[in-house]
Amino acid sequence: MSRRPAAWVIVMRREILAKLTDRAFLVGTLFTLVVLAGVIGVQGYLGERTKTYDLVATAEARPLADQVATAASKGDAKVRVKVTDANDAVAAHAAVDTGSADAWLHHEATGWVLTGRTGVPDALATTTTGVVRSTTLAANAAAAGTTVQAMEKGATLTTTQLVGDPQRSDLNKGIGFGMAVLFYVAVLMFGITLANSVVEEKQSRIVEIIVSAIPIRQLLAGKILGNALIAFVQMAVYAAIALVGISFTSVGRLLPSVTGPVLWFVLFFAVGFLAIACLYAVAGALASRTEDVQSTSMPLTMLVMGIFFGSAFASGTAQTVGSFIPPFSAVMMPIRMLDGGVPWWQPVLALAGLLAFAFAAVVLGEKVYRRALLQTRGRLSVRQALAAAE
Amino acid sequence: MLELQGVTRRFGDLTAVDDVSFEVDDGLLTGFVGGNGAGKTTTMRMAMGLLARNAGEIRWQGRQIEATDQRRFGYMPEERGLYPKQRIIDQLVYLGELHGLTAAAARASATGYLDRLGLADRVKVRVEKLSLGNQQKVQIVAALLGEPTALILDEPFSGLDPDAVDAMTGLLREHSSRGIPVLFSSHQLDLVERICDRLVVMARGRVVARGTVAELRTAGPTRYLLDLGADAGWVRDFHRGIHPVDVDGSRAVVEVEASGAEQALLTEAVRRGPVHEFARVIPALSDVYREVTA
Repeated sequence: MSRRPAAWVIVMRREILAKLTDRAFLVGTLFTLVVLAGVIGVQGYLGERTKTYDLVATAEARPLADQVATAASKGDAKVRVKVTDANDAVAAHAAVDTGSADAWLHHEATGWVLTGRTGVPDALATTTTGVVRSTTLAANAAAAGTTVQAMEKGATLTTTQLVGDPQRSDLNKGIGFGMAVLFYVAVLMFGITLANSVVEEKQSRIVEIIVSAIPIRQLLAGKILGNALIAFVQMAVYAAIALVGISFTSVGRLLPSVTGPVLWFVLFFAVGFLAIACLYAVAGALASRTEDVQSTSMPLTMLVMGIFFGSAFASGTAQTVGSFIPPFSAVMMPIRMLDGGVPWWQPVLALAGLLAFAFAAVVLGEKVYRRALLQTRGRLSVRQALAAAE
Repeated sequence: MLELQGVTRRFGDLTAVDDVSFEVDDGLLTGFVGGNGAGKTTTMRMAMGLLARNAGEIRWQGRQIEATDQRRFGYMPEERGLYPKQRIIDQLVYLGELHGLTAAAARASATGYLDRLGLADRVKVRVEKLSLGNQQKVQIVAALLGEPTALILDEPFSGLDPDAVDAMTGLLREHSSRGIPVLFSSHQLDLVERICDRLVVMARGRVVARGTVAELRTAGPTRYLLDLGADAGWVRDFHRGIHPVDVDGSRAVVEVEASGAEQALLTEAVRRGPVHEFARVIPALSDVYREVTA
């Protein structure tokens, strides 16, 4: 006879199996993966592809149009320009109007004009503007007996930053926002799932059979850990796909530098998730019917939204303070660490605070859960549940 | 043996269970009857350790009961609970494992019981697809898994068809003959009368009667029915240790107040004319029930 697993392991296994055989969950996960891969793929495609524009010109404008084509092929913006000839203005006009050309380059009294049918593509306009500007400037400079270089001397402005580099800052912002979203989505989705599964057991009264066979603590632990495990795996898959996607882009080279904060985030995520999941289990226990879960979990939903907005938008002192206050610290500390300059003791202190919060949540959670589980008449408040005898 | 001694439970101002004492003997089927709200379910929940008690003691095999004892009991709650979207067999294996069986043992045990209750071909069906009666059978199986050391079943017979009632009765007897105490509540007095060894009757949170069916039926005053060939009106004035309960035409029902007084009554009746019937009246259980719970 094989050794029998502990009760919480059996409960956890059932939670996971129930989830893995739930069609809605599988379809949802698959859908998210497809969307995620799609977004990354589209970004990559848009970033890599070369767009060719047809520029129509009469003989008068042909030399300038050729210069635009040359400039486009030299520039690293992925724009190519193909020049087509038109006999006269009427033919050029017709070419744009019928769509066989994207724009018509011609000269008017005020200067050069680029005409599109309903507008001129930005990339084409930018390239053309540059060429017109430089050729005209060169001509004007020659007329004035000087050179463009001489005229433009000293007229440049370059931006620099003290910490990191601009691409790194963008990456940090992106990853920080990603962390906030990931935590928000995971906690909300699995929190509600957990609350629903608690109330489902309560509503169907199977909980009476279960707690007559095993201690309530084991039931609570198994349910929370089972859901947490699924949440971690699901979020890890999402994050991995996103990171793989990023590694193919130009900021991919910077990824190794964020490894430390991301690993911290995994730790903070785990502890923060457990604490809030426990509170969601309580929200489920306070309800008597599935319909009540929404209102009993409302304060938690507000809290989770607060964490999201706090971590996505807070900066400066607010961010520093928030990064120590559990459960906000679960996301705000790793985000602060992305920007660097956080001494090692700060995340340790924040994690200790978060652990204390999680412990308190589990202790309080078990107390309320135990008392509320067999109360099946309507909604309970935490106060009522704690006041009730076991 | 499971003993309850002075068990009391209050919900706010309401005393749902008030100083309840009875025992459930090993190897006997004990029926637990009483109207809605009499306190049966609350009592059973306390016996299972699901509800705390405000006063009183519950003893198991002669000592204070512990949670580990109760976890080995088979329990069927009043309101039927199962996971609607899970397959029957998976669900039973899960509950069996929680009771300490291996998955294989739980599967074998569950399959055997389902077979006996006529659900062998439906083991892989989701619970929500079953009729209520069949869902109940699954619940009964859940309570029986893993050789429970006692059975506490809240309304196990409600909603079952006659065949299922027979199968269920067989299962309960089988378990009681293993030597374990079996307590089950029911509203069906005829059924309780037929299959129970002992009976506990509750009303308004208190135990109002307990004993074997025969003890309960004979516990009341001794009554006799007298059916004469002529008017029985004289019985009203007979007195001498006899109290007339109901005199109607040629028939009279009397209560015997002094032992042997009925013989004097019979002698008098025979002297007056023909006697068609003279018999001891033993009330039906339902009459006793009505009287003790009134």
